[in-house]
Amino acid sequence: MNRQRIVALAWKEWREIIRDRLFFALAFVVPTMLMLLFGYGLTLDVENLPFAVVDYDRSAASRDYAYRFISSRYFAFQGYADDERAVDGLLAGNQVRMVLVIPPRFDERLTRGEAAPVQVLIDGTFPERTQTSMGYVAAINSAVSLDRMAQALSRVRGIPLAEARGRVQPVRLEVRYLYNQSVQSIWSLAPKLIMLIMMLSPPFLTAVGVVREKESGSIFNIYSSTVSPGEFLLGKLAPYVAISIANAMFLWLLATTLFGAPFKGDPLFFAFATVLYVICTTGIGLVISMLVQTQVAAMIVASIVSIIPAVLYSGVLLPLPSLSPAASVLAHALPPMYYTNIVVGCFLKAVSWHALWLEVVVLAAYAVGLFGLGYLLFTKRPAS
Amino acid sequence: MRNGLWSPVGLRRLRVMTHKELLQLFRDAALMVFFLYSFTGDIYLAASGVSMQLKHAAIATLDGDRSFASRELAGRFQPPYFKPVGDAGSPGQAIRLLDDGDVMAVLDIPPRFNERLQRGEQVSVQMQVDTSNSVLGFLTSSYGAQIVGRYGLEVAALREGMSGAGAGPRVEADVRVWYNPNQNDAWFMGISELLTVITLFSILLPAAAMVREKERGTIEQLMVTPLSPFQILFPKVVAMTLVILAGSAIALFGVLGPLFQLPMRGSLVTFFLVTALYVFTTAGLGLLAATVARNLAQVGMLTVVILMPMLLLSGAWTPIEAMPPWMRGLAWISPLHYFLDAAYGILLKGAGLELLWDSVLAMTALGILVFGIGMRRFARQSG
Repeated sequence: MNRQRIVALAWKEWREIIRDRLFFALAFVVPTMLMLLFGYGLTLDVENLPFAVVDYDRSAASRDYAYRFISSRYFAFQGYADDERAVDGLLAGNQVRMVLVIPPRFDERLTRGEAAPVQVLIDGTFPERTQTSMGYVAAINSAVSLDRMAQALSRVRGIPLAEARGRVQPVRLEVRYLYNQSVQSIWSLAPKLIMLIMMLSPPFLTAVGVVREKESGSIFNIYSSTVSPGEFLLGKLAPYVAISIANAMFLWLLATTLFGAPFKGDPLFFAFATVLYVICTTGIGLVISMLVQTQVAAMIVASIVSIIPAVLYSGVLLPLPSLSPAASVLAHALPPMYYTNIVVGCFLKAVSWHALWLEVVVLAAYAVGLFGLGYLLFTKRPAS
Repeated sequence: MRNGLWSPVGLRRLRVMTHKELLQLFRDAALMVFFLYSFTGDIYLAASGVSMQLKHAAIATLDGDRSFASRELAGRFQPPYFKPVGDAGSPGQAIRLLDDGDVMAVLDIPPRFNERLQRGEQVSVQMQVDTSNSVLGFLTSSYGAQIVGRYGLEVAALREGMSGAGAGPRVEADVRVWYNPNQNDAWFMGISELLTVITLFSILLPAAAMVREKERGTIEQLMVTPLSPFQILFPKVVAMTLVILAGSAIALFGVLGPLFQLPMRGSLVTFFLVTALYVFTTAGLGLLAATVARNLAQVGMLTVVILMPMLLLSGAWTPIEAMPPWMRGLAWISPLHYFLDAAYGILLKGAGLELLWDSVLAMTALGILVFGIGMRRFARQSG
């Protein structure tokens, strides 16, 4: 290993990157843009769910009941529908996602102290949203039921409404939200976005950067020079790692300042783990670049290989415990999951080495493995 | 017009150019392998492994009462939503379980729970929920509240003698989930992934095909031929559309249909027509990017700049309704937003054009606009 050659190669690569102004700008703009877009747009909260009401009862009680939904911020009222035949078109045409059908004698049944059935039709296209909406519906229904029961009880027994309310609800559930007291999506999301974006951007940059030389043929200059494969890889990749580390730091700043995510962990530990992760994802780019010959292929492979694990198998959008066994194995075999544990731990839980050493070891093993594979695949004598 | 666009000569030129594009595409072996993988393996992975729902959330109990009532309540946290892992032992141990991510929630039942219930007092039960993942946290507390609520009502009914037929006035919801009654995640994830892959390829392939000619200088050779700018651009889009449609057919009939029993309720002809229209529209965006970029690396970055917001603003991953208003506005100019409505509408809901005409119309308008701008820029650059 000759340090001078590595530095010269890194310098050459750096000049090449900054001379391509659009590429250079995009290398920094893209991660920031993704952070802003996802940070503001990727709310997983289900709110303003468009819904319609079919009210066959048309009584004070049924209007009252419908109003509970109308006034909720989770639902957006789109109007009353005349009868159930209209419902088909509304749901199929994506105008509403839920329809509330209140049958006749709703008021009468409640007044007589009976159970009053209602029908809730939910568009099941998006299963996660369906589940959440069902949760909201259940919450509103149980609130209405408790109100009516307390009223009935206070009338029958002649006790004050407040006491009756306590009697109909003997057990109360107090939920304490840990690690993220306000259940704001953005708090738990912003740290994971660092993981997501650092999984997308470095492989892309690296793969394209290396394959560019292959496709244009300038790599033959390297083949015929005295530079050794190891020197070439180090010098070539150093600028990309540097750009990605700078990006990661900026994303951390955005997460803590703009999005106000709390950072409770050890900054040094986090910085160390982040550098390791960036080296890992750069290594993915390196391996891809060794396997393909054209930049188009490099881009496609880099996006497919990185988007799927980063989005689906890392715990950003999808709960890890709900993965199937096969998918769970896959999640454990890929780096994003480990780094997700690290960012979540550092940001929200204030845990450090003692809880996360295994994750760091796995990332280090990945970095060594990927660069080793890249080194083995790179030969200065291409098969002729 | 002897050599007009739709004259025999013009059509032959289109055919020859399309053939050239297809040949060029098929010769990139690594690309074709990954193209096939994207429409099969990738979609299989997305559809098979992933569930957006809360299933088997590990829950530990801290039973301070150890009575019949407390065991009864704790025993109601059962699969499919919960997976009881037994007693945590001590509060410190419970916090450690939560810290290490071994459990999702801890149910804390206070001492004298049974006794106070019998006396008619109101008792609070605590649940500590890990909300590092806020969706999961919400679902956990929502299901927990439902279980405890139902238990409470039963206790109240017994205590106040309201059991039997007239068990007090209450609302009972009969929730019916349409189009996907078993909440099969594979259908949603599979289609969503298919649309993502279609989008990726329909931006990147035409854009890259265009810029590669620029980068290598072969565009100059095309310029000196009698071909008009349209005759150069259009075959690229046609070739890519054909390949992407073939890929979609493989994904639908080779993966999603046989392996995941995806119901294709609507007309498949309509689906493929709408897909073709969508690929055209999106390819227009790619060509627009190609007129800005000078080399392939730039095209790649620009593709990400276009692709990511499109995916995000389409409603595939997150509900558009919950976004801030300015973002909801942007969703109206994302062709994927319309394609998503149409694709799910046709495949899952069995909707036809009579319901989806507005989406299709909007997509067409966007396509013409984008393609027009791209053509103009290209013609000016090469003129």
